[in-house]
Amino acid sequence: MALLGQKRQRTGATALRRRFRAGIAVVVAASLAAPAFGQAAAAQPGALEYAVKANYLYKFAPFVEWPARVFASAASPFNICVLGSDPFGRALDEAVRGQRIEGRAISVRRLRSAADTGDCHVLYLGRQSPQAADQTLKALRGTPVLTVTDAGQGVQGGIVHFVLVEGRVRFSLDPNQAQANGIVLSSKLRALAAPTLAR
Amino acid sequence: MSDATLPRTAWRTPLTRSVAIGVAAALLLASLGLAVFSERAARQEILRETQVQAEILAATVAAPLAFDDTTATQEYVNALAANPSIEAAAAYSGDGALAAALKRGGEPPPAQAPARMARVGGGHVLVAVPVVQGTTRLGAVYLRVSTEAPLQRVMRYFGIGVVVVMASLLVATLGVSEARTREAHKRLQAEIREREKAEEALRQSQKMEAMGQLTGGVAHDFNNLLMVASSGLELMERTSDPQRRARLAQGMREAIDRGASLTQQLLAFSRKTPLKIEVVDLKAQVDRMRDVLDRSLREDIQVEVVAAPDLWAVELDPAQFEVALLNIAINARDAMPRGGTIRIAIENLWAEGDEAKDLVRVAISDEGEGMEPELLSRVFEPFFTTKKVGQGTGLGLSQVYGFARASGGETRIDSEVGRGTTVSLLLPRSAKPLPRREVAAPARTGQPGEARRVLLVEDDDRVAELVQEMLIELGYHVERVANASSALSALQNGADPDIVFSDMVMPGEMSGLDLARRVAEGWPGLPIVLTTGYSASAAAATSEGLRLLFKPYAMDALAAELGAAIHGQAQTAAE
Repeated sequence: MALLGQKRQRTGATALRRRFRAGIAVVVAASLAAPAFGQAAAAQPGALEYAVKANYLYKFAPFVEWPARVFASAASPFNICVLGSDPFGRALDEAVRGQRIEGRAISVRRLRSAADTGDCHVLYLGRQSPQAADQTLKALRGTPVLTVTDAGQGVQGGIVHFVLVEGRVRFSLDPNQAQANGIVLSSKLRALAAPTLAR
Repeated sequence: MSDATLPRTAWRTPLTRSVAIGVAAALLLASLGLAVFSERAARQEILRETQVQAEILAATVAAPLAFDDTTATQEYVNALAANPSIEAAAAYSGDGALAAALKRGGEPPPAQAPARMARVGGGHVLVAVPVVQGTTRLGAVYLRVSTEAPLQRVMRYFGIGVVVVMASLLVATLGVSEARTREAHKRLQAEIREREKAEEALRQSQKMEAMGQLTGGVAHDFNNLLMVASSGLELMERTSDPQRRARLAQGMREAIDRGASLTQQLLAFSRKTPLKIEVVDLKAQVDRMRDVLDRSLREDIQVEVVAAPDLWAVELDPAQFEVALLNIAINARDAMPRGGTIRIAIENLWAEGDEAKDLVRVAISDEGEGMEPELLSRVFEPFFTTKKVGQGTGLGLSQVYGFARASGGETRIDSEVGRGTTVSLLLPRSAKPLPRREVAAPARTGQPGEARRVLLVEDDDRVAELVQEMLIELGYHVERVANASSALSALQNGADPDIVFSDMVMPGEMSGLDLARRVAEGWPGLPIVLTTGYSASAAAATSEGLRLLFKPYAMDALAAELGAAIHGQAQTAAE
């Protein structure tokens, strides 16, 4: 993505147009907990990188539209599930604490088996065998679940795919798969995504 | 009349000076109000536009804020730089920290996300809106837009302001001057009316002055003709020679005719008439005056009229001209105590020079004492006289002067001590043709009365007797009563005359005029002819459209008038 370097020098107006055409990397902002997070993330990818990703998991929600039937009732929580090895530790629980999606509480579930994905709205696939991941993704095809894979966990093929470019957490999107699963991705989100080719 | 004038004054009155100024002030106020209103509207518009811009920014930075893409956020914020009036813009992340900012002068945007706001003040529009995706609050955006600088605004309103101020000044000035003109016009009108009244009074007094002069001559004349009549009667009684009697009767007839025409002229002269301009032939006018002049002057004074042929017509008031001529002639007479000739020369004067007008000159010369040059300059002044107290009022020549000016002409006076004086009236030539004078139809010979019945109303027994004789002579049956009320009771008691012939001035409560009115009401088909010697009564009768016979009258005039009245009434009835 040599684009990134070029882009920095562009004026706002042209950049705005380019953004919708090409999509661009998401920058790990300093707005999380530590002000100097950018440098910190570049220096020690581990913990901070996953803190950012944990944050993003629930932040996708406003930009994604699920069919109404995925919620049993108005009081049903919004479920974020993690399948496979969990890289977040407490970071995910802290990120969602006190947050609500469309008035719903957010509940984090760590699944032991792919068979438990029935209630999930967002499913993060942690480190696991590519076959298992593929199988899970295939099984969920047609089910309104926003699947998230992570290059950092050696897993790919989700609707959202986290990548790390120049020390910054970015993501690409697979709109076809989203459509197949019956969920709608906001154009704002798609404008922000890295091209699928970057996978 | 008053109906027509009232509404006009009603709408004219309001445009006074203060109203004009008020209108101008109202115009200024209205423009000021409009300016304030449009200023407010413009601010509201800027506020609304800024809010929309902020909402658009909030929508576009939602995703970059959510996923901490500061670069993208900054680019979106920078894109606002395309709007030159934006002074500062900023986007804040969910925790309120500044994520991206644009600053172009003035204070930088606040470091912490401000609460939602939208306000105008201090030359800025400040707007802050939250960034919300779905129900999730992701941050906030802030915009500060400059409204126009005060100087810019002043410049924008300056041009139109100048125009409005000028227009208001113009309205005020015009209104004030219009009001002034109107006031001046009103004063002028009042003054003109006053002057007209004064002039009218002056004319009348001048006429009376001339009358006084006339009266002496007329009295003398009357004595003569009375002498003719009385001696004629005496001689008639003493002779039975029919030829001689006829000659005497003829002489008496002529004397009486002359007396009648004299009184006619006196009456016409003294009648108060408004200025009446006519196109006249001066020669004819002077000829008509010959009689009066002969009588008002003395026997030792001759009057000679020399008129050039083909005189131009002039426009003037004949009555005033007569008075003027008489005034000059009387002065000439008084200037010639030992008698002499008054020469009246009338001639055309061709215009000399571009500005000049063609004139007709009437020059009245005497062979009298003449006047000193220093007196000459004062003779046209009112009340200036060289005559003894009781002999003149000094109004004579001032009337001449006034008359000439009123006719558009002027007066000259030339005099040489011991040689005489010439007073000239220079009157402008009229382009209008002379009116064709109707040739007076010869008095119709007395129509036979056809045995018609006349109710004669006359208080003077002697006059009544004579008139009765004349009527009988004309073939009428006559019933005479002495006053108007007797006439009415006669009519009510079944007298059925074909015509009523009544004197106008009679003793009793009712005048001839009253009788005429009552007859017209009660007996609409009955003709009535009035007769009088008084000019005032005559004017009253003619103004009511009544038939009138002026005293003294000859028999054929009486026959003609009565006949015409009967036949006229018969015609009206037939129609």
